[in-house]
Amino acid sequence: MVVFFKKNNRMKKPDIGKEKGPFREGGKPGSDAILSASLDKTVAEIQQILGHSDDLVMKYFKVFGQYEAAILYFSNLVKQDSINHDILKPLMYVPEHLKDRNRPLGQLADLIIKETLYHSQAYPERNMEKLIDYILCGETLLIVDGMTEAIRIGTRNVEKRSLTQPETEQIILGPREGFIENIQTNLALLRYRLPTPDFQVKTMKIGRLTKSTVAYCYLKDIAKETVVQEVEKRLSQIDIDAIMDVGYLEQFIEDNPFSPFPQIQSTERPDKTVANLAEGRVAIFVDGSPFALLVPVVFNQFYQTAEDYSSRFLMGSFVRMARMLALVFSLIFPALYVSFISFNPELLPTEFAIAVAGGRAGVPYPAVVEVLMIEVAMEVLREATVRLPKQVGGALSIVGVLVVGQAAVEAGLASPITVVAIALTTIGSFATPAYSAAFALRMLRFPIMILAGIFGLYGVVIGIIFIFNHMLSLRSFGVPYMSPVSPENYQGMKDVIFRAPLWLMPKRPSFLHGANRSRLGKTIKRNEFGNE
Amino acid sequence: MNTRKITTIQATAILISTIIGVGVLPLPLFAVQEGGTGAPLVTFLGLALGAIGLVILTQLGIRHPQKTIITYSEDIIGKWLGRFCSLFVILFFFILTGLTAREFGEVVVAGVLQETPLEITVIVMLLLACISCRNNINVFSYIHNFYLPIILAPVLIVVALSLKNANLLYLRPIIGTNLPDMFIGTLTISALFQGSFIMTIIIPSMKNPNQAIKASLWGISISGGLYLLLVIATVSVFGTEEMKQILWPTLELARTTAVPGNVLQRLDVIFLAVWVTAVFTTLFSSYFFTIYSIKQLLHIQDHKMLSYFLFPFIFILAMLPQNIFQMYEFIKFVGRAGLLITILYPGLLLMIDFLKNRRLKGSASQQT
Repeated sequence: MVVFFKKNNRMKKPDIGKEKGPFREGGKPGSDAILSASLDKTVAEIQQILGHSDDLVMKYFKVFGQYEAAILYFSNLVKQDSINHDILKPLMYVPEHLKDRNRPLGQLADLIIKETLYHSQAYPERNMEKLIDYILCGETLLIVDGMTEAIRIGTRNVEKRSLTQPETEQIILGPREGFIENIQTNLALLRYRLPTPDFQVKTMKIGRLTKSTVAYCYLKDIAKETVVQEVEKRLSQIDIDAIMDVGYLEQFIEDNPFSPFPQIQSTERPDKTVANLAEGRVAIFVDGSPFALLVPVVFNQFYQTAEDYSSRFLMGSFVRMARMLALVFSLIFPALYVSFISFNPELLPTEFAIAVAGGRAGVPYPAVVEVLMIEVAMEVLREATVRLPKQVGGALSIVGVLVVGQAAVEAGLASPITVVAIALTTIGSFATPAYSAAFALRMLRFPIMILAGIFGLYGVVIGIIFIFNHMLSLRSFGVPYMSPVSPENYQGMKDVIFRAPLWLMPKRPSFLHGANRSRLGKTIKRNEFGNE
Repeated sequence: MNTRKITTIQATAILISTIIGVGVLPLPLFAVQEGGTGAPLVTFLGLALGAIGLVILTQLGIRHPQKTIITYSEDIIGKWLGRFCSLFVILFFFILTGLTAREFGEVVVAGVLQETPLEITVIVMLLLACISCRNNINVFSYIHNFYLPIILAPVLIVVALSLKNANLLYLRPIIGTNLPDMFIGTLTISALFQGSFIMTIIIPSMKNPNQAIKASLWGISISGGLYLLLVIATVSVFGTEEMKQILWPTLELARTTAVPGNVLQRLDVIFLAVWVTAVFTTLFSSYFFTIYSIKQLLHIQDHKMLSYFLFPFIFILAMLPQNIFQMYEFIKFVGRAGLLITILYPGLLLMIDFLKNRRLKGSASQQT
């Protein structure tokens, strides 16, 4: 395997800082202290570590009217009702079945957890450090005087938004749900679609301050074992203070950080995630991010959408080809324009060449400068509209496109054909479904344009060869980036330029293959309806 | 993890895209100069000679599936003699790389970028090959595999579109007239197939080395078929006498064809642009072969730095010929001399290896 995966230099060797201790960042003395039996002492200790935050609730009461006790929790992270009804009430009001029994201190923990609390997540815990972690995550601690262990109760309840349509991956036909920030909900969305014991979820905590829950999931026997191990290895080597989004992880685990091309796909759609899991990929989630990372990826995934598969294959294939054309446009169209205009006008039909020359008559700059100028203006305009509220954005794009474009032509800054060419390019780059891949091509457009300005068509070809060679040398978690085109795989090729009918693709992509490769049943490929 | 990952199809693709290169442009001229109307026959004979060389090389490779010609020659004819001969092999491909880059530069300067200095176009192309050579042999095969359709398509399209201007009368007599000249022509043409020598470094990385012979035959017949098609097309369109006046008949063929529908006025510039890819793959192969062989000869672990180190030398070599005519004389001479290295030398190796094996077997059977 060593040869298979490129060594990832950005990863530090695993060191001690990785163990998630609450005191490490705060500068408090590390303590593996075990709880003392005295209630007052324990509470004082906890208060000393947590400081006097106003949202820390501490309530003293008597368990079964007998033992001094206290519960502690952060009021903003729990639902008060549930604490009152499910925890305090049964503890204070001795339940029927316990009334006549002896309730010695030694068995109290067991008694409380097994026979009293109306809560499925209650566990004894005696490590101070861990208790602090739990309370910070929203659990409730129950400390009883005289007991050397506290009881933690999973009462975490954080506000979350409702499921909405994914903003970044809109489709016409297909499911409407998108992931939200809460990781539990996201995993639930997957479980709901994958009621199979093969669906595995592994979690870990990353981030010294945020202690974010990171989960990676895969389908056992379908995902390649080595890929799963590699994901775990790369994730476990991350040591950072805060993880805000799944993009943080992406930067740590991708193969080649200097490549403009994304080597990991992120998605907001549960259906797409499930489809990818079923092909043998691994999905990675972080609590607090509505995106899932999918690894390993190949380039052709970036111009495919979930819709390609849910619509009929002719439709899906046609739309996909249109999208590929847009992809090519967004990369080389301005460069081709420059090299045609300034190096090889003889290639154009004569009437058109004259029209172009006429349009450019008043423009003082060479074609490259002109195109670069408009392109830069376009980039600025695009960046400006992204962050604006929707109502203002519409107005700005009208001003930008219509007024500035028209005025630039009339003022003799640019020729009308240039504006058309740039507009086509920009629209082309919007047609690429994956934002990150579209961005790579958007960036690479500029060097190719400059090459075209220097060497004409020859420069464009050199630039493209350079980009392709780079893409061919990339790997994502051991999978060649341009597969199944090169290295070739004919089963996989059915799903690259066009999408073959689902019943013609009986195998999972072989470049991801684990043990189990068949997608379809063996005997019946397709029901022959209406052939009687 | 096993490193033998190159499939038979990839090996075929590597051969085709390595063979088809700069030679596409002057090939019909070479054939016509020596063979007259027998040009297609000369091409076919050249192809056959090239195929024989390749088969010999592949047989050697199959007999030593872990090694390349640099390493198994040491086993066959002794350590020092083997290294001495390897030096010539490396030197030959070193020169071939330089000449390919130069020929490419000449075409670009004459065809599209008249005002750009020759040095610039050569440097850009060499740099592209140089940087790509830093990859390992698997990526090398992915790259060849990927560009294959782009290399085959333009020639086929041009040939297909030019058929309406063809005149079969130009092709007769098929046998040609001047036999000794035709023999030299055969040598010149078969020199264009020397890129197939790359097979020797492919076999040790092939998933299934026994399939190498299949890959070789397919590779050389597809590329040779394309060459043959090209010669027939140019001769039948222009006729032999007119062709002798044209430096690059293939380019001229592209110039005379027009795309239906008047999408583009001229095809030759587009043809040249796409042809850059074919040149790149050829240059890439010979460059890669050179540094890979040096790596094996000197037992160096990593060939990445070697790629940059060789760059200035290849560039200087490329700039040596004074002008385009001297360059073509040089190319023809080096090509024919190279046949000693690419066909005769492997032939001798195979023979010695064969005899040695027999003697070993003989003595082994005598002992038992």
